[in-house]
This record gives sequence, structure tokens and C-alpha cells, in this order.
Amino acid sequence: MRPRLSHAPSARWLPILLFALWLLVPLMPGVPSFWLTLANYAGIASVIAIGLVVLTGYGGMTSFAQATFMGFGAYATALLTTAYGVSPWLALPASLLASGVAALLIGAITLRLSGHYLALGTLAWAVSFYYVFGNLDLFGRNDGISGIPPLHFGAYALTSSRDYFWVVWTCVAVALVLTRNLLDSRPGRAIRALRGGAGAAVSFGVDLPRTRLLAFTYAAVLAGLAGWLYAHMQRSVNPTPFGLNASIEYLLMAVVGGAGALPGALLGAGLVTVVNDQLQDILPRLFGPRGNYETIVFGALLVLVLQTSPEGLWPHVRSWFRLPGGSNRRSIPDAPALPARPLPAPGAPVLQASHLRKTFGGLVAVNDLALHLDAGEIVGLIGPNGAGKSTTFNLLTGVARPTAGSMRFLGRDLAGCTPPRAACLGIARSFQHVKLVPGMSVLENVALGAHLRGLAGALRALLRLDRAEEAGLLAEAARQLDRVGLAEHADRPADSLALGQQRVVEIARALCLDPVLLLLDEPAAGLRHAEKAELAALLRRLRGEGVTILLVEHDMDFVMNLTDRLVVMEFGTLLAEGTAAEIRGNPAVIEAYLGSVA
Amino acid sequence: MLGRRLATLLLAATVLGAAVPASAQIKIGVTISTTGPAASLGTPQRNSIALLPTEIAGQKVEYIVLDDGSDTTRAVANARKLIDENNVDALIGSSTTPASLAMIDVAAEKKVPMISLAASSRLIEPMDAQRKWVFKTPQNDSLMADAIADHMAKAGVKTVGFIGFNDAYGDGWLAETQRALAAKGIQLVATERYARNDTSVTGQVLKLMQARPDAVLIAASGTPAALPQKTLHERGYTGKYYQTHGVANADFLRVGGRDVEGTVLPTGPVLVADQLPDTNVIKPVALEYVRRYEAANGPGSVATFGAHAYDAAILLQAAIPVALKKAKPGTPEFRSALRDALEGLSETVLTHGVSNMTPTDHNGFDQRARVMVTIKDGAWKLLP
Amino acid sequence: MDADIALILLQDGIVNGSIYALLALSLVLVFAVTRVIFIPQGEFVAYGALTYAALQEGRLPGSVWLLCGLGAAAALAGLVQQRHFLRAPAVLRLLAETLALPGAVLLAALWMAPRKLGVLPDALLTLAIVTPMAPYLYRLAFQPLAEASVLTLLIAAVGVHLALLGLGLVFFGPEGYRAVGFSDARVAVGPLVIPGQAFWIVGSTVALMAALYAFFGFTLAGKALRATAVNRLGARLVGIATSLSGRIAFVLAGGIGALSGVLIAPLTTVYYDSGFLIGLKGFVAAIIGGLVSYPAAALAAVLVGCVESFSSFYVSAFKEVIVFTVIIPVLLWRSLRSTGADEHE
Repeated sequence: MRPRLSHAPSARWLPILLFALWLLVPLMPGVPSFWLTLANYAGIASVIAIGLVVLTGYGGMTSFAQATFMGFGAYATALLTTAYGVSPWLALPASLLASGVAALLIGAITLRLSGHYLALGTLAWAVSFYYVFGNLDLFGRNDGISGIPPLHFGAYALTSSRDYFWVVWTCVAVALVLTRNLLDSRPGRAIRALRGGAGAAVSFGVDLPRTRLLAFTYAAVLAGLAGWLYAHMQRSVNPTPFGLNASIEYLLMAVVGGAGALPGALLGAGLVTVVNDQLQDILPRLFGPRGNYETIVFGALLVLVLQTSPEGLWPHVRSWFRLPGGSNRRSIPDAPALPARPLPAPGAPVLQASHLRKTFGGLVAVNDLALHLDAGEIVGLIGPNGAGKSTTFNLLTGVARPTAGSMRFLGRDLAGCTPPRAACLGIARSFQHVKLVPGMSVLENVALGAHLRGLAGALRALLRLDRAEEAGLLAEAARQLDRVGLAEHADRPADSLALGQQRVVEIARALCLDPVLLLLDEPAAGLRHAEKAELAALLRRLRGEGVTILLVEHDMDFVMNLTDRLVVMEFGTLLAEGTAAEIRGNPAVIEAYLGSVA
Repeated sequence: MLGRRLATLLLAATVLGAAVPASAQIKIGVTISTTGPAASLGTPQRNSIALLPTEIAGQKVEYIVLDDGSDTTRAVANARKLIDENNVDALIGSSTTPASLAMIDVAAEKKVPMISLAASSRLIEPMDAQRKWVFKTPQNDSLMADAIADHMAKAGVKTVGFIGFNDAYGDGWLAETQRALAAKGIQLVATERYARNDTSVTGQVLKLMQARPDAVLIAASGTPAALPQKTLHERGYTGKYYQTHGVANADFLRVGGRDVEGTVLPTGPVLVADQLPDTNVIKPVALEYVRRYEAANGPGSVATFGAHAYDAAILLQAAIPVALKKAKPGTPEFRSALRDALEGLSETVLTHGVSNMTPTDHNGFDQRARVMVTIKDGAWKLLP
Repeated sequence: MDADIALILLQDGIVNGSIYALLALSLVLVFAVTRVIFIPQGEFVAYGALTYAALQEGRLPGSVWLLCGLGAAAALAGLVQQRHFLRAPAVLRLLAETLALPGAVLLAALWMAPRKLGVLPDALLTLAIVTPMAPYLYRLAFQPLAEASVLTLLIAAVGVHLALLGLGLVFFGPEGYRAVGFSDARVAVGPLVIPGQAFWIVGSTVALMAALYAFFGFTLAGKALRATAVNRLGARLVGIATSLSGRIAFVLAGGIGALSGVLIAPLTTVYYDSGFLIGLKGFVAAIIGGLVSYPAAALAAVLVGCVESFSSFYVSAFKEVIVFTVIIPVLLWRSLRSTGADEHE
């Protein structure tokens, strides 16, 4: 294990120090009580915005229903504490449960929607529940439920803004810590892969629907917490704070602050709350007391802020204060190697495909292809552009379903195979168009490949019970990264690497799966000469260890020197098969490649 | 060196301090809905605040007006802001029932008297430790609903169809209408709801007409109340129309046009101040308000909602001198004394009626606070 | 329920649905060309209706001043954008678009408003006042964000919506207005009494759709828009300026919004904040239509209108609940059918 640089201790302790100072603010003499009230509103909004960072910023799902989930939490506690006399503290789990269960049910129906459909789906729920809240006698119809008891310790009620400040901001801190724990874990990596890297994640066994539901439910539970805080601060609830406009405002906070990072949530919530309040004071002085210019100025400011920083304000703040960004990777504890899967004996059949056919409408992409791979050989799949090579890869990994034909892998039928299933069986791949999660560190991207070699779920991640397993996964990722020669880049964001290096990162990620069969789509593209030689050496070593490799490549020198066998495709059909020397002399291949020039 | 810097700092502080306007003696915090769905209530209220006296019993009075955008969260935040930052002696607002309901806890917690401008009697009933601090100037909707039921009974109406806003206003009216009609033995045969912004109420109107009611009561406020009535007209409904006092402004007449002729509604006397008999004590107060409001905002601009804010100020004007005898403004003692003084007011003549506050009735209106009017030739006409 | 009532509800649904269809068309258009989910579309309806109503009453609508203000701001923004390569023809064209046009409209409005020239001149003037606001807004708010994510553009659209909503309250006040229709005639067809205005609405929708079809099929600008919608980068490579496509899309959106406003103003009362919910239902229809297909969006809009009218008959208190949950199965169906992976945004 190579020693790793860790950030100066000050960078780690800074947030904790800042938070401790923040908790002392109410004790300072002369702090106006209303500032604390505003801070409380900002804190409650922050909790929701933190959920949106997970859901929208990392998960890529836009939700217009966060205020609705907040409503579930708020109404749950309002109902329990007023009608049944339950203590507000005991009502907290009920609030979280109410919003969580609502999100599970709504998510189960709505999360099948993709992209804009999902956004509209949540919007529809938001509008619907606004009217449902307002028309239920149980919920006090549009007048809502008032007389909700305040939080209390024994006989001491937390009614003042100062007392409540500590409650709200403790909740914010808990939400932040839990969310960081979640994102920095096996399920967290899956969530972060939803935006931009879903295609790769699914090929390494990530259950996308479950992961989407996890992010959705987690954000909703945070909103439920905010609802609980809101209900006991406001001590009355009615439908208006849980309508569509409120949801839009929370989304707006997350985007203005910067949905790509957790501090952005705090920044956005704080800024929007303060600006909204200050406009009320400033504008009447400028325009006189008769007008209502707050919404106008707020709207215009919003557009201006987005134009100067489309990614939100947090990236600016970060660079002003020279704060470390992105992954806050610490040194990786050395962990025992993960158990490896037994590889088939050299020469044993690994993959047999026959009469493989794939048509898109009238276009035949793969036509009656027969392909067999034996353990411990490197086979090159070559052919002109559009020959059907990538489609073949997609068929073998379950990304596309064959129109006809059969595939067997280690004696098992691959009919109806899905990408996670293929990953489970030990088929790992890289992509022609690199699919790394842009904002995530190289190491974490690689660790995504080991997804199936861990078990930790969200609950264990939240409570940090997954550390031993997590250390194992990260150590494995570091090992594979070291193996491909990119160890020194482990902590850099994946998108900061050169394209050739990103391809090699994809190989490391594939190796993390502990594959039986490695499918590499143009691994050498964009590499310099020396790097190609290193790659070839690595692939030979893997072959020596018993891994079977099928690669698509256009660099003929690379392919000819490396592979044991070549398969040539043209127009979806098998054109020729044989050793490098045989293929070099095959007239049909020469015709196909060189065409009229020959 | 240090001394000089300190001196500069002190000087700067003095200059800054002097730049802040001398704070008024008495501060009244106002949070009303000048934007959002209830803007048609809040706008005339804000315009009325501008008419209020800036001096009461020799003390300067400052009004700090905030908009809550018809949103309960902001209404509560505003109330806290006014109390914490501005140290107000009394609160006026908000314009709607849900927002006012949410403010009760703040007013009670901080022990600041609050005068709501919303209709529901739930704001002051049942009287308890919290509502002790809450007063309201609009007539309870129960008083108005009784008046309508009364008129219906006299007009021989046996069956009624109800169409109201799908919000707190409609909820409040539906509950009160059910009670008032039952008391008179009138049957409620259909209940429909619609939203302020709906572009069509054809479905609701067809459903109402299927029930063939003798009369239709429309429980809505402002110009949106005209839509069901116009649609009923279009569909050929020939029964009687009743509206609530929520429609009492000129804009309703403008939008309603010919289709609202003959509509009957209860309202505060201010709407028809000039038609009141000269013996009515309310007449001069109401006429004065109308005159001043229209002088500032143009002829025909007066709306009864604004008068509620004006009435709140009349109550304060009457109570402040009493409270001043007990304590100085800006102190908890003063606020408490102001509350006591408000509760002790009797026979206070407002634009909307004559108020007799009691420890159990923080509205204090009686039958004098409502008149029945109809619409004739595009104008409000007092019914005998 | 008898057949008569069903027919009346159907008629009501179709009329309302036609307005949603118009808005859906324009939302689809704007999204396809610029990736902006144009939340302020509804404000254009409200502005159109309220401007039209004000003109009919012989008042000068406040929106004229907004047009001038936006024009001036757009001129400034345009000059700043072009500051590095200022050329006389381009600058002249910019100033004509952003200063001369609003000026001319202002003069026309000042002259026409007190004269109450009648329904058609008022409608045309309304279109002239409200339509150009959309391209000015594009220049001011969205063009600088052309490369931003759909989410950022959406939030920017929310900002524009808020600003326009606030301005609407300032210009038109909190109370609603209702205008005189193009036609007072009522046609009796069996049990139906169809107001003449309903024909105008449905007719205009159909005519506009036909016109758009011709525009996209046969004109150069229309083809350029289609190309941009299909492939932004490709369109730019072959020399179609995306900003120009964006401006054309916004001109159409503004015009459609204003026209919708003029059409519904006589049928219902319109408020400064009426637009949002109308726009939202147009948006629902647009999404059901898949944000790409015009006929599907138009059909979906009529469906939304009919669901709305029938549910307002059966359970009026839960009308919006029904309208907005009924679309979820439709969305599911569409989502399952759509194969395009749009997970990146």
C-alpha cells in the first residue's frame, strides 16, 4: 500500500469548528432575536435542500414535491400531538416514517418515469396533495391544525427562537453528517453514478430502480424532518407551506446555492431566506411603501445570479476561500484483499454464442454471429466502423437483447440476461464512450466496479457501520488503480484526467469486479506509445492470471501483437477468424479494410 | 494612535446613530396579504393604513407594513420580525384566516395584542389563554350567515345550492351556512367548490342546477365571485342569487355587469354609508373613511376590506390613551395594558358597526354591523 | 348524468382544452429549440387578457411601459453582447428591434387606447404589445444561459415567472377583468348553447396549428427551427444561429400566449396570477405529448380539458387532484414507450 496524502487537519476540523461557533451565536449579547428566527427558517430549508442535493445534484432527479413530503412530516406530528396527545419527541419517528412511506409509495409509481416525466410526475403529486390536505376534515381542511405543542424538555418548553435555534441547527448538522456518510459509501457511489454514469453503474451490478428509490426516499425523509421542525416551530400547519410554490422555492435554493455539493444547500437556503427578508426592508425605502416589488426584484436577482454562476454560488465561495473541493478522501487503511472468484482452467470454454442476431427495425446490426472464447485468451474483435462490434458487446453484457440466437457463459444460458446479472456472473466491460462519473474521484469511480463485492446498504452507511467493508472495497480499488499505473491520480476528479487515462481508469474499474471475462471497447484509443506498451503488458499479465479478454480496437499494431486470435466483422456478419498472421493474409479482410485502394 | 482611532470610531458611531430617524413612541406592526391569492383583500388594507393618524393622544405613531404574500409561514415570520426587531406595541393582520390562525401563537407567546382582519370566528372562539391576545374587526361569518338565512326564510326559499372557494374562506362559509340554514329549516341541496383562478365552472354549475335549488349562495371574495353567477346566468338559472360580504367592492360590479343585478348580500354598513339614515351613528364615521379613501385612491375605489384595517386603527386609537395612563409604549406593561384597554372598549363606533368588547367576545359586533344590500343598476342598494 | 350534460361538459372541456393545446404547442416549441421549460408562458396569457381588457375600457395598459422597459434593457444587453464586434448594420437592426419597435407600439397605444376602436384593432394592438416581450426576455434572461443545464434554465424560468407575476400585480392590480368577445352570438345545437367565442377559440387553435405546420414544413425559418430542435450542435455547424432560432421560438411563444389571453378574456375572469395554473395544464399536456410531438400534445390538451370539466361536475373539491393524478398513468405509459435515454439531464 502506497502512503497517501491526507488533507491538513485544519481542513477536516474547519467545518466542526465553524459549526461550534455557529451554535454559540445565540449566546452572544446583542444578537437580535429575529436573526435567530430567520436562521431557524434557513435551517429548516437547509434540511430540505440537503435532500435535494442528494436527489437532484447527485441523483439527477428533479423533484417538485419536496414541500409535499415536508407536509407529510408536519401533518403527522400535528395530528399525533394535538389529537392523541403524543409527545412531540415521540412523534418525530412518526413524521419521518410518514414522509418515508409516502415517498416509497409515490416513488414506486413515479420513479419509473424518466427525465422530464419524473419532474412532471412529482409536480402532479404536489398539486394533488395540496388539495387533499386542504379537503380532509382530519387535517382541519384549509384552516389546518393549530395549537400544536412546542418541543419541551420536561416542563421547559422550547418556544423562544434562541432555544429553537439549537434544535434546528442540531438537526441540520445531523442531516449533513448522515448525508455525507451516505454519499461516501457503497450505496452513495451508486446514487452519485445516477447522474452521468448510470449506464456504467448498471453494468457493475447497481440496481438502478432501487438506487433511485433510495435517493428519493432519503430526500423525502429529510423533508419530513424539516416538516416536523416546522410544525413545532410554527405550532400550526395548513396546506399553503406545502404547496407547489414552496417546492419550487426549495429547488431554487438548492440550485442557487449549488446543487453539486452539500454546502451549497446551506448557502442557498441561507441566502434566499435572508434576501427575501431584506428585500422587504430595503425596497420600501427605495420605491415607497405603496408598491410590491419584492417578487419582481427577487425574480430578476435570481436570473442574474444564475447567469453569473450557472452551477450555483458554492463553487465561487469555495474558490474565494481556497477550500478543498470535491472528494475529501482520507488515507485508505490497508485492508485484507477481497475474496476472489475462482477462474476457469485455461482453455476451458468461457463464452459460446451462436446464430446471434440483432436487428433495429429493418437494420441488421448483428447477423448470425458465432463467437467462442476460451479461458485465458485474448481475442480481438475488429472490423470497419458500423460493423456491429459495439452492438455485440451490448448483447454479451445484457445491455441489448438479441433478436435471435443463443449465448452461453460458463455453461449458463445468457437468455434474458440483464447488465447487473452479467456483472454478477463475472463479465466486466469498458465503454467506447467513456462513462465515468465526472465529479467523483478516480478512486471512487474505480470502487464502483467493486459494487457487487460489498453488501452494505443505506442504513449501515448512514450509521458508519460499513467502515470495515468500505475499507476493503477502497483498498481493492486502490490496488487495481495501482495495477494500471494511475495510483497517483486516485484523488483527482475523474473528468480532470486525459481521455486516454480515463479509458485506463475504466479498465481498473472493470478489474474491480474480479471478472472472468473482460470486454474492452477501444482501450488503447488516445494513449501514447509507451502507455500502449504498458497496457499491453497489463493485459498479458491478466491473461496469465486466467482472465479471458475480448477487445475491440482500431490500432492494428496493438491488436496484432497482443491477441491470440482475431474475429473480423463486417456489416454485422462474421468475415473471418484466425490468428493475426492468418487474418493479415486473408483477402476478404484486406478487401473490407482497404477496399478500392487495394 | 489608538486613542485617535477610537475617537474616529466613536464619531462614526454617533453620526450613524444620528442618521437613524428618531424612533416613534408607539409602533404598530402590520402584516397583510398585498400579494398572492388574497391580494385583493390586502391591497385596500394597505391603502387604508396610509390614511391612519400618525399621532394618538399626543404620542407619535409609526406603522410598519409588511406583505406576507397570503402565505402563513411568512405571516408568522413577519409577526416575529415586527415584535422582535421593531418592538411593536400591537399587531394588525393578517388578511386571511389561516395566516391569522398561525399568528395567534406568536402574539400570545410574546404577549402582544393582535387585531386580525380575517373573517372566521375560529380566531376568537373558544376564548382561551392564547386567544386572549387576539381581537378582530371583520364581522364573524356566523353573523353574516345568519343574516343570509334570515333573508332566505323571509323570501320563501326552501332549498339552497352552495358554491364556494376551495379554500379557508369557502370552508368557513360552508360550515356556517350549514348551521344557519338548518336553524331556519332550509335545505342545502348541493355543495360545490371552485378555485379563485378557475377559468370555467360549467361542471359545478350544471351539478347545482340539477339539484334545482330555489336560491344559490356563492361564497367567494372579490371578482372571482362573479364567475359562477355569470355561468349560472348563461345556463339559464332563474332562482335567487346570494353572495357574501367578500364581494363588496366596485370591481365585482364591474366584472359582474348585468349578470349580478338583483343579487342579495349581507355587508358592513360602510358599503352603503351614504344611504344609511342620518340617525345611524355609524354613518359619519363610515362616510369620513370613504371620503378620505377615495380622495387618496380615486372615486369608486373603496372596498369594505380596507375598512377593516381602518377599524382596527380606530380600536387602537380608543384603547391607546387608556393604556398610556398605565405604562409607557414599548414595554410589556404597555402591551398588556393595551390588551386590557381593547377588551374594555364599549360602544366604539367603527365603519363596519358598533363594537362592545367583552372578555369572551373580542369582536363585539351586533346586528348593527350588518345590513342587507342588493345590486341595482350597477350599484349597491341598501335593503330595508 | 344524462347525455345533455355530458355534451355540455364535453364542449366545455374542448374549449378549455384548446387553450391548453395552444400553450402546449408553444411550450413544446420553446423547449425543443432552447431547452427552456417556459414557466412564464402563463403570464403571457394573463398579460394578453388584461391588456386586451384594459384597451377595451379605453385605458392605456401598464404592459406598454413594461414592453418599453424590456426593449431598452434588451438593447443594452445586445450592445454589451456585441461590444467586441460592433458593426453598423447589426447595431441598427438591434436598435430597430428593441427600441424603435416598442416606441412605435407605444405611440400606437397612446393614440388608440382612448378611442376604443373595437374588438379587432384592440386584439391586434394587444398582440403587438405582449408578443415582443418574449424575445426580449429571451435576450435578457435565457440567451446568456444557452449552455446551462435544463435544471438551471428551469430555475431561471422560475425567476422570470416571479418577476412577471410581480409586474402583473403592479400593472393590473389584484382584481380580475373580463373582456367583450369577438362574437356575442350563441348558436343552439340540440341541447347545447355554444357561445360564439367558443368557435373563435377552437377555430384559432386549429388554424394556428395548421399555420405552424406550414411554417415548419415550408419556410426556411421553420426548417431552421426544426433543425435546431433535432440537433443544436449540428444546426450550428451548418450555420443556423441558435440564438436566432431561440428568438423566433420565443416570438411564437409570446404571440401564442397573448393570443390565448385575448381568446379567453371574454369567457372568464382573468387575474394577474391566472396564468400559472393555465400554463401548468398546458405543460401537463405538453409532457403527455412527449415534449416533441405537436399533434400528440394538442390531443393531450383536449384530454386534460375534458378530465377537468367532468371532474368539476362530479367532485369539484377534488378537481385538481383528479386532473393531476389522472396524468400519472399516462406518464407511465409514455415513459415506458420512450426509449431515448435522457438521464443525463
